[in-house]
Amino acid sequence: MSLLEIEGLEVTFGQGEGRVAAVRGASFSLARGETHCIVGESGCGKSVTSLAIMGLLARGATRQAKRMEFDGRDISRLTEREMSRLRGHRIAMIFQEPMTSLNPAYTIGSQMAEVRTRHLGGTKQAALDRAAELLGRVGITAPGMRLGQFPHQLSGGLRQRVMIAMALMNDPELLIADEPTTALDVTIQAQILRLLAQLQAELGLGLLLITHDLGVVARVAHRVSVMYAGEVVENAATADLFAAPRHPYTRGLLECLPIPGKVAPGAPLGSIPGMVPKLTPGFTGCGFRSRCSLARAECAAPVALRGAPHLYRCVVDA
Amino acid sequence: MSTPAIEIRDLEKRFIVKQGLFGTPRHVRAVDGVTLSIPTGATLGIVGESGCGKSTLARLILGLLPASAGSVLVEGQDLSRLDRRARARLIQPVFQDPFSSLNPRRSIGDIVAMPLVAQGVAGRETRSRVAEMLEQVGISPDMASRYPAQLSGGQRQRIAIARALVLRPRILLCDEPTSALDVSVQSQILNLLADLRRSLNLTTIFISHNLAVVEHIADTVAVMYLGRIVEEAQAQALFATPRHPYTRALLASVLTPEPGLGVPDVGLGDVLPDPSNIPPGCRFHPRCPVAIARCSLQTPPRVDGAECHLLSA
Repeated sequence: MSLLEIEGLEVTFGQGEGRVAAVRGASFSLARGETHCIVGESGCGKSVTSLAIMGLLARGATRQAKRMEFDGRDISRLTEREMSRLRGHRIAMIFQEPMTSLNPAYTIGSQMAEVRTRHLGGTKQAALDRAAELLGRVGITAPGMRLGQFPHQLSGGLRQRVMIAMALMNDPELLIADEPTTALDVTIQAQILRLLAQLQAELGLGLLLITHDLGVVARVAHRVSVMYAGEVVENAATADLFAAPRHPYTRGLLECLPIPGKVAPGAPLGSIPGMVPKLTPGFTGCGFRSRCSLARAECAAPVALRGAPHLYRCVVDA
Repeated sequence: MSTPAIEIRDLEKRFIVKQGLFGTPRHVRAVDGVTLSIPTGATLGIVGESGCGKSTLARLILGLLPASAGSVLVEGQDLSRLDRRARARLIQPVFQDPFSSLNPRRSIGDIVAMPLVAQGVAGRETRSRVAEMLEQVGISPDMASRYPAQLSGGQRQRIAIARALVLRPRILLCDEPTSALDVSVQSQILNLLADLRRSLNLTTIFISHNLAVVEHIADTVAVMYLGRIVEEAQAQALFATPRHPYTRALLASVLTPEPGLGVPDVGLGDVLPDPSNIPPGCRFHPRCPVAIARCSLQTPPRVDGAECHLLSA
């Protein structure tokens, strides 16, 4: 059974004329011990999807889903109180910017301990011991000293390790990481991703990783969902997606990358003309059709996912 | 041999940093003895991690910061001896964030015209040159009356490029020009820069942390670490056979979109570079996986463009 099952997730912001559909029927599932990446460009709805699962959408957003299950339990109808019992406990999240997601006024130790005592009780000392153990686990030397430090005393890479350790405080089953390495240097990014992959395998976590970086996807994901204009346009095993992308958008995206060895230096790169359409509520059909060279009349009607297990949302046969 | 388009000689920048109210002031060498030269029409890529001094170097080259020592010569003219206007005719920047580098209250026509106005170019000529420039960056001149907020990120970066090139400078300095952009937009901007470079015979300095992009666009590459160029080579040679251990680590950490390879172990350990506390000897030795005793004692010599003790042995 899958750990997380999302079907037909829809999120809209605003009201009346100004309404925007940020997520238009996203579906995917995630098993224990699996890394699933949601990849897409800015505004495609990938972060909103993760926030919708966590029940952290801003006020004014509406969320609807055919199915939203965590470990077999419907989480779409939970009250805020019930959801906050899950959050930080069985479902944990890591955000992109570790500086703004840590409280600058509290020590690392007290922030980490609170996560534990709040959900599981116990003494503060026991929680601090657990925090020190996890800091060691994520490769931070002298964890005892770090517990007494404030976020500003740590580098970006260390802060992100603290965020990971903090997310693991209560042995979550599902970890959602939204661009966890985007703010970091490449060398630190490699270290953090390696660590996440190791922890994920060791602890059997379900890892939902949101990223815009196809390099990250290729290296860590078991399965990938490509999002465009609020829809999952392709969902496949990582190797299949990169070997034979089926959706015109995925193909276009891969051609835009200067891949050493594949694209000669200085040779023109592929590009995707046009812009992402405005997704007002009346918008139906494939969000990519205005930029797609293969578009036809039927693209204006809703397009279904097909081709399991390498799913793609396109009327043109791949 | 003809004079290079731009020559940077022993450029140095020291900042004085005080730790706390009563702390003793310390010198931070953000840029330390950088020497580079680029022939006309070529592109130099500068790569390095945050805090390595690449943006400070950019500001020194542009004259936005006074250098503590050294000089920058464009076609033989020392930039520090020129006034702002003369400098602006020789070298122009494109910055990372097209959302903050364009004045939101000016129309894009005004933004692109500004350098011309500052140089005293008159009305009609300004308009025709702005229109021509917009066309060259792929923006319809009809859009000149729009404001930055009405444009997408890629279009804004095109405007920033148009503004930089409207004076026909000799040198274009791009500091992370595509880092804030989506992949599909990044490729368009890279293609545009390549076209302009060819048609205008531009000499380009391209600063980026994205090694795949630099490999694609640069003729030569300089790798910066804590203020120094630790390796400089032809792009092809550098990416095929990196010589400095830092360059090797940097290249190893690039995640190319090839599934099945996993995340590499870059072997750099946990010590992070601190520009206010540069280690003695080779500044990379605390993180270097192959350091020997000598590395913490002596400054490494430069051998064939790379600064490493192991290469001189």
